[in-house]
Amino acid sequence: MRYGFVIDQRRCIGCHACTVACKEENRVPLGAFRTWVKYIERGTFPNTRRFFSVLRCNHCDAAPCVTICPTVALYRRDDGIVDFDGERCIGCKSCMQACPYDALYIDPDTGTAAKCNYCAHRVEVGLEPACVIVCPEQAIIAGDLDDPASRIAAIVAREAVQVRKAEQGTRPKVFYLGADASALVPELQAPAEGYLWAERPRDEVDLVALVAAAQAGRGPGDGTLSRPVYDAPHLVRPWGWKVAAYLWTKSIAAGALLVGAFAGSRAWGDLFGIGAPALSLFFLAVTTALLIADLKRPGRFAFIVLKPNWRSWLVWGAWILMAFGGLGAVWLVAGATGRWAVLHGVLVPAVLLALATAGYSACLFGQAEGRAFWQSPLVLPQLTIAAVVAGAAALSVMAAAWPLPGTDGCRDVILSPRCLDVNPDTTLWPVLFLGLIAHAVLLGLEMFNRHPAHDASLAARLIWRGGYRRRFWGGVVLAGVVLPVALLIAGAASDSTPLSVLGALLALAGLWVWEDLWVRAGQSVPLS
Amino acid sequence: MEPLHPVARELAAPRGGLMSYPPVERWEDWEEYDPVAWPRKVKRRYSLIPTICFNCEAACGLLAYVDRATLEIQKFEGNPAHPGSRGRNCAKGPATLNQVTDPERIRYPMRRVGPRGGGQWERITWDQALDDLGGRIRKALVEGRQREVMYHLGRPGHELVYLQRVFHAWGIDGHNSHTNVCSSSARAGYAFWHGMDRPSPDHANARFILLLSSHLETGHYFNPHAQRIMEAKSRGAKVAVVDTRLSNTASMADWWLAPWPGSESAVLLAMAHTIVREKLYDREFVRRWVNWDEYLREERPELPVVFESFERAIDELYARFTPQFAEAESGVAAATIVEVAREIGRAGSALATHVWRNTAAGNLGGWQVARALELIVVLMGAVGVPGGTAPNAWNKAVPAPPMMPPPGKIWSELLMPREYPLAFFEMSFLLPHFLKEGRGKLAMYFTRVYNPVWTNPDGMSWIEMLTDEAKVERHACLTPIWSETAWFADLVLPMGHASERHDLMSQETHAARWIGFRQPVLRVALEKAGKTFDLTWQAHEAVGLGQVWEEDEFWIELSWRIDPDGALGIRKYFESPYRPGEKLRIEEMYRWIFENSVPGLPAAAAEEQLTPLQYMRKYGAFLIEDQVYRTHEQPLAARDLDGATVDPVTKVVDKGGQAVGVEIDGRCHLGFPTPSRKLEFFSKTLKAWKWPDQAVPNYIRSHVHWSNLDRAKGEMVLLPTFRLPTLIHTRSGNSKWLYELSHTNPLWLHPEDAARVGVVTGDLLKVATRIGHFVDKVWVTEAVRPGVVACSHHLGRWRLKEDAGGERWSTALVDLVQPEPGQWRMRQVHGPRPFASEDPDSSRIWWEEAGVHQNLTFPVQPDPVSGQHCWHQKVTVSRPGPDDRYGDVFVDTGKSFEVYREWLALARPAPGPDNLRRPLWLPRAFKPDVSAYRMEP
Repeated sequence: MRYGFVIDQRRCIGCHACTVACKEENRVPLGAFRTWVKYIERGTFPNTRRFFSVLRCNHCDAAPCVTICPTVALYRRDDGIVDFDGERCIGCKSCMQACPYDALYIDPDTGTAAKCNYCAHRVEVGLEPACVIVCPEQAIIAGDLDDPASRIAAIVAREAVQVRKAEQGTRPKVFYLGADASALVPELQAPAEGYLWAERPRDEVDLVALVAAAQAGRGPGDGTLSRPVYDAPHLVRPWGWKVAAYLWTKSIAAGALLVGAFAGSRAWGDLFGIGAPALSLFFLAVTTALLIADLKRPGRFAFIVLKPNWRSWLVWGAWILMAFGGLGAVWLVAGATGRWAVLHGVLVPAVLLALATAGYSACLFGQAEGRAFWQSPLVLPQLTIAAVVAGAAALSVMAAAWPLPGTDGCRDVILSPRCLDVNPDTTLWPVLFLGLIAHAVLLGLEMFNRHPAHDASLAARLIWRGGYRRRFWGGVVLAGVVLPVALLIAGAASDSTPLSVLGALLALAGLWVWEDLWVRAGQSVPLS
Repeated sequence: MEPLHPVARELAAPRGGLMSYPPVERWEDWEEYDPVAWPRKVKRRYSLIPTICFNCEAACGLLAYVDRATLEIQKFEGNPAHPGSRGRNCAKGPATLNQVTDPERIRYPMRRVGPRGGGQWERITWDQALDDLGGRIRKALVEGRQREVMYHLGRPGHELVYLQRVFHAWGIDGHNSHTNVCSSSARAGYAFWHGMDRPSPDHANARFILLLSSHLETGHYFNPHAQRIMEAKSRGAKVAVVDTRLSNTASMADWWLAPWPGSESAVLLAMAHTIVREKLYDREFVRRWVNWDEYLREERPELPVVFESFERAIDELYARFTPQFAEAESGVAAATIVEVAREIGRAGSALATHVWRNTAAGNLGGWQVARALELIVVLMGAVGVPGGTAPNAWNKAVPAPPMMPPPGKIWSELLMPREYPLAFFEMSFLLPHFLKEGRGKLAMYFTRVYNPVWTNPDGMSWIEMLTDEAKVERHACLTPIWSETAWFADLVLPMGHASERHDLMSQETHAARWIGFRQPVLRVALEKAGKTFDLTWQAHEAVGLGQVWEEDEFWIELSWRIDPDGALGIRKYFESPYRPGEKLRIEEMYRWIFENSVPGLPAAAAEEQLTPLQYMRKYGAFLIEDQVYRTHEQPLAARDLDGATVDPVTKVVDKGGQAVGVEIDGRCHLGFPTPSRKLEFFSKTLKAWKWPDQAVPNYIRSHVHWSNLDRAKGEMVLLPTFRLPTLIHTRSGNSKWLYELSHTNPLWLHPEDAARVGVVTGDLLKVATRIGHFVDKVWVTEAVRPGVVACSHHLGRWRLKEDAGGERWSTALVDLVQPEPGQWRMRQVHGPRPFASEDPDSSRIWWEEAGVHQNLTFPVQPDPVSGQHCWHQKVTVSRPGPDDRYGDVFVDTGKSFEVYREWLALARPAPGPDNLRRPLWLPRAFKPDVSAYRMEP
C-alpha cells in the first residue's frame, strides 16, 4: 500500500483553499506552510499567462529526511506516508537540508520539525486529507498507488504525469498532471523581489538578490525565464554560524590529535602528552556545545543516543565524537601520568578516530540531499586536510606559548625548519606548509572544477564571483592560504617564530571563513 | 531497512479507500484523532453541525466540528449535503475559524463616550442598546419621520425577505444597500432584458463559457461557479475571459481578451455582428422570444412587422460594429473577436456567460455591457437552457415567512432620488452629498457589515457626514469586527459570524433551486445537550464567546421595544405563529417557514422521522428542485387564464391589470417579467424615460476612453476594481491565514509605462485623481494592458489608534489630519506588526504592509442610468516627491462635491410617464406601495 497524491494543475485555479484548510486542520503557525501554492508568469502582454503549482512534501519512497533524521522523528509508514513525531524531534534541522522540496519547517511552538503528513490522523479514521476535500476543483487526488482499482493509480497509469526533481532519486509520490515545467523547476525561474499581493520576507529577498547577482550575465535566454509572482515564505538557511563553527572547532579537535600522533613524539614533552589531547578535548567540548546549542530542542540532545536512527550520520557522528573524546581522555591521562606505553597504544586508534571525526561530516552533509553543493566528492578530502591544517596551526600556536623542556635551546623547535636537523619528528612546519598547499589545491578544484549539478555550480559561483567573493578571495585565499604560506616561508627564512605563528593564526582564521562560506553557499540556492 | 516508528507498526488500512466526509449518520458523535497530539492517538469527539459560510455572497455550506467536551469549534469543513458548494470551499471557508477565535473581536455591545470618532467606548448591556435604539425609532415613527430611519448594509446575512418583513412592518422606506458601488450596472443591463437583474449561468453543461468576470477566483458565486466552470472545461468546453488585467481566471482560459477598459461592449457587439452576419444565431428562439415586433413598430415603422424585417434591421443596426472597429476601440485583435464569435456559434445554446462587476462596475455606460453580453446569449437561444444562461430568479428559492406586512406608502428620496429613476437601486454612495445639500437628516442610521468609510468612494465625505451629529443623530453599527466605519458609530453591536447566527439562504449557483440554513452552531450544540436559551447571545456567553448576537433576534427584540403594546401595529408581525400574542422565538420563525414554505421539505424530513426544522438543523441545506430549465416556456395554467385577456398587438396576457404571460404562436406562456413578457431587445421603458438613444444594446464610450487621456502627460486609467481570491471586502481583516497570504495591493504597471515613468518594481508611484492622490508601490507586470494601472481594492485597511478600532492582523496605524477644512491627509505610522494576545500567532506576524487605501481618493461618479458608481478613474501618475511616503492619502472633499455635481448633471430625472418616480415594473429592493411611486405634485 502506498498513499500518494495526484495534483491536477489543469484544474487547479490557484485559490489557496488547500493552504488554508491545511493550516486549519493541522494548526500550522503563521510563517509556516505544509502545502502552498506558487504562481509564476511567463510571456509578454497579451500573450502571457499565470501558472499555479501546489507544492508540498512528496512522501518519497526513498525519503532523504527519514534517512538523515537522527531520532526517527521522521519515518515512512507501511502505507507510504512519511509521517513525523514531534516528541522525538530534537530540532537539528537536518531534515530541512535533506529534503530537496522545501517541505519541512520548524514549528515555533514546539521547536520541532513538521510538514505535510498526508493528514495521517484523518487517514486512520478513513478520511481523505483536508486539502483534498476542500479543493473546489477536486484537483488534488489522494489514494493508494498500489491499488490498481484506485482512481489515482489509473491516472498515474494513463496520463502524462511529472514529478519534482526525479533526478534526486527520492521516488516522490506527488504526481503532477499538466503542470508547467518552470513552475516545478526553480532553475527556470527568474529572481523575484516581491509578489503581486504579498511581501517577500526581507531575508529571502536579500538571498535571492545575492544568488541573482552571481547568475547575472549568464548569457542569452535570461528573458525567457518564468517570473515567480507568488510564493509562500520559507526559512532562509536553516543552518547558521553554529554549524560552520562546529566544523571549524571539530577540525581543530580532530587535527590536534591527528597531527600530534603523526608529528609528535616524546621530544614534544608536555605538548605531546598533555597539550595536544587537552587542546583536542577542549575543542571537542566546544564542538559538542555548538551542536547542542544549534538544536531547537537542546534539552533533547540525548535522544541522538537514546532513540537513534542508525542510518543517520548524525547518530554515527555522535558516537564517533564520543569515542574520540574517550580516547583523547585516555591520551591525556596517560600523558599527564607519564604512562607512555598506554599513550603509544592509543595512537593508532586515535589517528583512525581523528580521521573519522574530521571526515564523518562529509557523510552527514552528503545525506543533506537537498543541497547539491554539499554532495561533492571533495568534501571528505577537504575536511581531512582542513583537520591537518587546523591541527598543525593550533598546535603551533600552542607550542609558541608552551615552554618545552629538553630542546637544547631550540625553544621554537616546533615551528622552525632549522630544528628539522635536530629532530625531524619535532617540527610542524612542513605539516602546516604542505597542508595549506593541499587545502589550496582542493579549494581550487571545488571552486573551478565542473559541477555535476546546476545548484552546486551556482553555489560555487556565489563564493568565487558572487556576493561572497570578497570573503573568499580576501579571507579564504589571501588571508587563509597565500599569506600564511608567505609568512611560513618568511618565518623560516628569517628564523622568526612570530611570523610563523601569525601565519598559523591566519590559516585558522581562513579556515573559519571557508567553513562559514561553504555552509552558507550550500544553502543559498532555492529548493522550490 | 526502514526505521519503524512505534505508531507505524499498528496500521489498519481503511477498507474500500478513503471517505471525503464522515457518514452523516455519525455526525452527532464523530470521533477523530487530535491532529496536534498525533502520532499519539488522542481521541476527540465532535458534533458535526452544518451552517453557511458568511464570507462572501455565495452561501456555501460549512460543517462545524464542535468539540463535545470543550464546546469549542475545532474546524470548519465543507458540507457535502449542500447542493451549491457540494462539500467544497475556497480559502475563505476554513478561514472562518480565525474569525471565530480572533483575539481582537468585539464581544460586547459598546457605546461611545466623548465625541463621535474620538475612540472612547464603554461596555453596555443589550437591554441598554435596545432601549436606546427602540426609543429613538419609535419617536421617529410616531412623529411621522419615517424617512429618517435608515438601515445600510453591506452583506445582508439574511438575504431573503426577512428584512423586508421588518422594515415594511415598521412602515419605513429605509433599506439602503451597497449595490450601487457593486453591481448596479450589470443589474440594470440584465433587468432591461428580462426583468430579473442577474444571470445564472449553467456552467456545468456549457460548451462555451464567456466570462466578463473572474469566477475562478472571486465573485458571485466563486466557489460554486468555479467548480462548474472547470467541470465543463474538463469535458471540453472552451472558455474566454474578457478582463483588462490578467486574472487567475484569464490564466486558465482558452482566450484572454484584454480590452481597453470600457470598450467591452464594442467587442461584444462585434461578436454579435459576426453572429448575425454569419447567421450563427438561433432564428427560431429569437423569433419567438425577443420583442422584435415592438422594436419594429417603435423604431422602424417603415418596415413590415415580420421577423425577416427584424433580421435585416438588426444586421443594419450593428453593421458599424465590425471586428475592425472593435479592435480600434479595444485593442483586442479583430481576428480573435471573430474566432471567439464563431466558437460561440459552434457551441450553440450551451453558452454560459457572466458579468457582474468587472467592466460594468467600472465604466460610464457599463450597464450596456450587460445588455450587449445578454444580446449574444439571446441570439444563441441560450436563455434558460442546459448549458445556457438563465435569469437568476428561476434558480433561487424565496420561501415565504409567516405574515408578510404590506409595503409602506412612503418613498425616501435619500435612497431613491428623483434624478435616478432607473437606478439599481438606492443611491447609497451619494448619501453624504445628499445630506450636505440639505436633502434631509437621519434620526437613526444603522450600518450592518458595511464599511462605507473604507469601501465607498470619497470616504472622507463619509467621515464628515458621520461626525456631524446634526446630520446623523444616531449611528449604530452592527458588525462582527471593528471597521473604519464602526469607529464613527455611537453604538457598536457585535453580531455573529457564519457559525453564530440564523439565516435562510438561497443563491442561483446553478440550474437548480435550493435553500441553505445558517445556524449558531454552539447554541445548537448546547441545545442538543439539553440547555435552552431565549437568545443566541446568551448561549454564546455560556461558552465564553461574549455577548455576540445575531440580527434575526435583534430585530424581533427591537421591534417589540418600538411597539411594546402593539398599538403601532408593528408587534403582531413579531409574535409567534404557534403561541398567539407571545414573542416570536427564532426557531419558531424557521420552523414555520420549513413547515409551510419549502416544497418537498416536510416530506423529505418525514422520511427520516424528522421535523422539517430538525432536518434543516441536521443537513443545513435542501434541494427543492434540480435541473431547472426553460421556465419562461411554462404554459399558463387554466386558472391563470381565467378572466385574462390577450392584447391583440403585443400578445401580452393581462389579468386584472397585471401582465401574467404572453401568447406565442397561439399558446400562452409564462414568459419574462418585462412589460412585453418577452426578452426586451428594445426597451420601451428606456425610451420613455428619456434614453431613446440607448433603448437597444449599444456601446457607450466610457469616461475613461483612451481618447480622453494624454499618456504623454502621465494620464492613465486606474482600474481599481479587482478582488483577490483570498480576501473578503472589509470583513476578512480578522483572518490571519488570509492576510498572511495576501497583504499588499501594489500598482500593476506595464513595463512600457514603467519605463516611461521611470520606475521599477518596488518603487513608489503617486497617483492623482480629481480630488486627491495616494502613494503606492509599483508592480511591473506583463499582466496588464499598457496605459492602464491596476490596483486591487482588497487592501489598505487602517486604524486610528494603536490598540483599538482595527484588526491588528490587517490594518496599518495611520495619522489622519485636516490641515484645512475639507482637506484630509492620511499618513501611515506603521503597518501590521507582531502583538501580544492569547493567540501565539499574533507575535509571529511577519508581514509589514497593509496595502494602500485608494478608494478615499475617488470622487463619486454615478452612472446616469443605472446609478452605479463608475469606479475607473482617470489619473495622473508621477514619481513621488521628497515628502511623499508609502500609503499617503490626500483628499479635498470640496472638490469631491464639485465632481458629484458634475455627474449629477448627467442624470435625466423623474417624473417619467404617469408622473411616476420609477417604472412600476422595474425591480426595486423592498418595493413601497404603488401610491408612493407617484410624485407629489
